[in-house]
Amino acid sequence: MRKLGVFFVAAILMFNVTMIMAGNVPNPNMVIEETIGLIPTLDPAWSYDTGSGEAIWQIYDNLIQYNGSSISEFRPMLSTNVPNAEDGTILDNGRTYIFHIRQNVKFHNGDILTPKDVVYSIERAVIFDRAGGPSWMLAEPLLPMINGAYVDSIEQWAVKLAGVKSFDDLFVEGTRTPKNDKYKQALVDTFNLLNKDFEIRGNNVIIHLPHSYPPFLYILAHGVSESSILDERWAVDNGAWPGTADTWWKYHNPTREKDPLYSITNGTGPFTLDRWIKGREIVFKRFDEYWAGPAKIKYGVIKKVPEFTTRKLDLIRGEADIIYVPRQYMKQVENVSGVKISKGLPLLSIDVGVFNFNINSRGNPYIGSGKLDGNGIPSDFFSNKDVRLAFEYLFPYNVFIKQVWMGQAIVPNSVVPKGLFAYDENVPKAFGQNLSKAREYFKKAYNGELWNKGFTMTLVYNSGNIQRQTACEMIKYYARRINPKFKVNVVSELWASFLDDYESGKLPFFVVGWSADYPDPYDFEQPFYASKGVYGSTLGSNYIKWAKKNMNPLLMKSMQMVEQAKRAQVYQKMNIIAHDQALYMFLDQPLSMNVRRSWINGWYYNPMRPGIDFYSLSK
Amino acid sequence: MPVTLLGLTFLIFFFTSFLSPYQLVSAYVTSPRELQAGNVDKIIEKYGLNQNFIFRYGRWIDGLVHGNFGWSLSLNEPVSKVLEQRFPATIELTIYAIIPVIFIGIWLGVVAASHHNGVIDQVLRVVALLGYSVPAFVLGLLLLFILYGVLGWLPPGRMDQWAQMIYYAKSFHHYTGIATLDALLNGRIWVFLDILKHLIDPVLTLSFLSIAGLLRITRSSMLESLGQDYIRTARAKGLSERVVVNKHAKRNALIPATTVAGLMFIGMLGGVIITETIFNYPGIGSFAAQAAEQFDYAGVLGVAVVFGIVTVIGNLIVDISYAIIDPRVRVG
Repeated sequence: MRKLGVFFVAAILMFNVTMIMAGNVPNPNMVIEETIGLIPTLDPAWSYDTGSGEAIWQIYDNLIQYNGSSISEFRPMLSTNVPNAEDGTILDNGRTYIFHIRQNVKFHNGDILTPKDVVYSIERAVIFDRAGGPSWMLAEPLLPMINGAYVDSIEQWAVKLAGVKSFDDLFVEGTRTPKNDKYKQALVDTFNLLNKDFEIRGNNVIIHLPHSYPPFLYILAHGVSESSILDERWAVDNGAWPGTADTWWKYHNPTREKDPLYSITNGTGPFTLDRWIKGREIVFKRFDEYWAGPAKIKYGVIKKVPEFTTRKLDLIRGEADIIYVPRQYMKQVENVSGVKISKGLPLLSIDVGVFNFNINSRGNPYIGSGKLDGNGIPSDFFSNKDVRLAFEYLFPYNVFIKQVWMGQAIVPNSVVPKGLFAYDENVPKAFGQNLSKAREYFKKAYNGELWNKGFTMTLVYNSGNIQRQTACEMIKYYARRINPKFKVNVVSELWASFLDDYESGKLPFFVVGWSADYPDPYDFEQPFYASKGVYGSTLGSNYIKWAKKNMNPLLMKSMQMVEQAKRAQVYQKMNIIAHDQALYMFLDQPLSMNVRRSWINGWYYNPMRPGIDFYSLSK
Repeated sequence: MPVTLLGLTFLIFFFTSFLSPYQLVSAYVTSPRELQAGNVDKIIEKYGLNQNFIFRYGRWIDGLVHGNFGWSLSLNEPVSKVLEQRFPATIELTIYAIIPVIFIGIWLGVVAASHHNGVIDQVLRVVALLGYSVPAFVLGLLLLFILYGVLGWLPPGRMDQWAQMIYYAKSFHHYTGIATLDALLNGRIWVFLDILKHLIDPVLTLSFLSIAGLLRITRSSMLESLGQDYIRTARAKGLSERVVVNKHAKRNALIPATTVAGLMFIGMLGGVIITETIFNYPGIGSFAAQAAEQFDYAGVLGVAVVFGIVTVIGNLIVDISYAIIDPRVRVG
């Protein structure tokens, strides 16, 4: 027994020594990234998260791609051209786009790419339309507007054409069988509205939009998973939508377990899927017949390693090439031999404090008495502009950036993050902490009644988010400091409870984040300012009424223009209005960083691809 | 056993009945960007989250009877598949961990009792105290830091990348899912050694606490045995101390130790949650942690059912072994 033990120990040590001596760079043909994110799906039409996106981008190609680090310049990908007005491939004032599809491109299974695959892929992304998914991005440009507003789901047209109240009304209960021929015809007609946008002429795919939609090319670019190009034949063989008008609703909004492409792949990208062990790792293998030439590395690996210590040790030992490092641990990887850090990389995302203009007061513990009596706040507390302005001046933006983000963030002056074309660091001027002004506005609000009586309210953050917790604590501290009668409580809630309260409109003030779906200011202006925006629609009836009059027309105007400079002017106008009205508290635009071994070559940063482009890397 | 399991599942499921559909939907909606108007209600409807508790529980139990544990939201695949893939890894870890617990724990307990109040006994009591005091996550991180970070000997995970390439190749047969065994059966000695190397740290972490526990119990039990009349008789007969301890005292002292060792094996399954997370070990424990973190209640329920089954079977084995060790139980 003892001899056996000695043998094992000796063998393990010998083995280690052998592996170390094998070379200075471990796994020279392989790049390993260790991170914390999960990969929920490999179906491009489902994917709406960074983890899935990063995996899908290695396997699938889009029509066009960003030019390296740029988010405004494109390069061809599966299209041999990037459409533009000068060469006549964008026509009709931005409503027609012509793509010359690359020839002899092979899918991983050997099938050859055809223009029909391109049309199928984009149409599938629109009809797939899972609730909460990304389909709205393609639905808005590709489906005709209804009553002057963009259509974000194909369901809306089916409902309109059939004259029913909801999509489910079209079907026999519990099934996907249309109740009658009229409804079936309405569904077919709905698909035809989409299908008529596409024309295949020789090797060209021509897309005719029903209205101009300036960010359209951004939506088609590599970085938006749902615009990935699939192999139609392979997809159909595997149980996906067969491409027919009279069946699409059976493949619309599936449950997770009924999505046939969630774990299988067949793209034209530089890597094939070697294996995916869910929740652990995904391994990509070089596709030697890639149209742009094979990748330099043979394997790319993304591993989920939840513990930072483990990731750090793996990096130091060379077992990982690139790791995710939370900001608070940044110092632990600085000045480590053989480790390179790229800091200050602007993320196209912002964190925003949201004022609820009409708080749901029913059974709401967060607004105390629900009255302006010092023991609570009225439900329309934040409908008062002076109150909002007072809070804007209360918050210590620079301290927040310095202490919480370790300086790795900037203070935004509007909803448009730095890096997008409508961003102007001076217009409007960002709010800064000014306690005397805060005092002034608090005194002005409710004709001095608020200042005299004080208030009590509770700020809620989702537990585990240190940045949001600190933001709430800072508000609490400074509110108390300028008036002891201002009582702010701070509580944490699990995401589940937070979501519950958020949906029921009970949160008086909360912090949320937003990241770019595509690098166009519209993607930020719309969710926050439109009366139907993700956040705008939750601010309450007072805001919605105001936004319909003041913000919606400007948003629509911005989308009817083609020239970027003119669009930028509209967005800046909206930003000034939002600033003057103190609609939101813009807290931070985080800066990202990348930590990798110095033997990694070819790494570049593009904020629309927060993951790694394994194709560009070598060791 | 079915009644116990049914009660267990009912209890866990019962807690979910306190949650509103909007709280349940948080497992499906992980970002505010997925909250476009009406989407949340659509998701609630689609997955039946607004159905009443009894209906949902009945549906789940029906699925369970048919081998369907539900769909893991955190890993996006059937829970049964996740359990099938990960359970062998956890069993492998706990089997490797229980071996030193039984041999070292009992041996040290006997040694401590044999040297009652001597230097060795005092030292071992301190060791036992340390075992109880040091939390698994501290010991785990410490081992990781020293044995991997400083010395570079024992990396985390289940195996190195090169070994994975062999292990997951089509030519490699996964007979049991227990990686070390499969490596041997495939004739891959280097893969076997690599997997073994990766097991050392988690095994040490997992077994340290249990060794301390078993040491204390064996020691107490041995001390009690050594004070019995038959031991005095054995010594009076002139038997050597080794024979007295090993043949007469130890066998009786092992009865409670065996019971506890069996329960420790079951307890270790709970301990794997932290250990597997620290060492990035792909077993059922790290899945449980991930499922709980992401509100994947199908996943949590699946793990609970598996733990329940193992606990019941474990108790049964303990009872049987008790009868083997102590003939009085068999006679009775």
